[in-house]
Amino acid sequence: MDHDRLLNIAVDLGCLLMSSGAEIYRVEESVRRLLQAYGLGSPEVFAIPNCVIVSITTPEGHPITRMRRIGGHGTDIELLERCNALCRRFCADPPSLDEAREQLDALPLQTPKHPLWQVLLGYGAAPALFSPLFGGGISDAICALAGGLVVGAFLLYGRRLIGSNGFFRTAVCSAVASLLSLLLVRLGFGQSVDTVTISVLMVLVPGVALTNAMREIMAGDIISGLCRAAESILTASAIAIGSAVGLAIGGIF
Amino acid sequence: METIWSGYILPCLCSFLACVGFTLVFNIHGVGKLICGVGGALGWLVYLLAGSTIFAAFLASAVIGLFSEIMARLRRCPVTGYLLVALLPLVPGGGIYFAMSYCVAGDIQRFLDTLLHTFGMASALAVGAMLTASLFRAAYPYLRRKTKGRP
Repeated sequence: MDHDRLLNIAVDLGCLLMSSGAEIYRVEESVRRLLQAYGLGSPEVFAIPNCVIVSITTPEGHPITRMRRIGGHGTDIELLERCNALCRRFCADPPSLDEAREQLDALPLQTPKHPLWQVLLGYGAAPALFSPLFGGGISDAICALAGGLVVGAFLLYGRRLIGSNGFFRTAVCSAVASLLSLLLVRLGFGQSVDTVTISVLMVLVPGVALTNAMREIMAGDIISGLCRAAESILTASAIAIGSAVGLAIGGIF
Repeated sequence: METIWSGYILPCLCSFLACVGFTLVFNIHGVGKLICGVGGALGWLVYLLAGSTIFAAFLASAVIGLFSEIMARLRRCPVTGYLLVALLPLVPGGGIYFAMSYCVAGDIQRFLDTLLHTFGMASALAVGAMLTASLFRAAYPYLRRKTKGRP
């Protein structure tokens, strides 16, 4: 068997899982099971949030290692579920390497994605529906809808404008959110600046990082858990700094 | 009746729809949308019933954790998606904002108060879901053996 190609497939599967938002233990476990299904005795897998290292020893006793770095990524649950199912299928009944490669490469293309306008709608609808939870009325909900749509557009289309640095992106978006809420309330569309701002900020809140941090720590991956916990604290401070800047600019006028 | 409607049913409905909105952002399709929405509504209902305190957040996140573990087992899918969307309404975004605004205003006492409350909420969420997920994982093999043993 061509162990180089097998290793490449395993590492690519690990990367795909990680970039769709899987937990560390799932990545490590999936890659290890896959390699074991192809008859390798003790594959070693190590993963942290932006790097996967896989090392195998061929039956002739020759060690091979591959490392792959993973850049910034979002969360894509549909891809994660399909990737997980594919890995299960491979482990239950290992196909030939050609077939495995083909199926793995086809996976991201086959996965359905929501069209951009629907994602934008999601960004708008969520804050609008959060505002009643924080005590807002109909007018606040409409303001939150507008704010959510603008922040969503910034997140989706503004990558070239504000770069891919997560901290900076969150800060800019929350500044826009607080400034816009202030503006809308001053113009008389909304009732309460605080309610509208909080509702819009819920889009940026580090819920994903917090949940992931907790799950990593629960699974025993302390390094990754601490990384994600730090990420959630950083995101929270970015939100605080951004909205402070927004309010300060609004206070001048 | 009026208070039940405006106090409980309407917020839960909003939480449900907001979570469904977030499923668009995280690319969740099909039945997963419904599961996330129900999880969010359930969590918010528990949070309201238990009195909107830090302990209420703990209870709510415990219920969400249990619910998403069960649903993930039924659908044989990773639990992450359901859990992170359903927990979103409870994440203390308001706490972050108010802490910041007190800090900017120079009101140190209320700033520290809100900050600690926010940290408390966040840790209650984390610990609650963590606890039930671990308990469920420990109990799952026994539950499964029991249901399989039944004729």
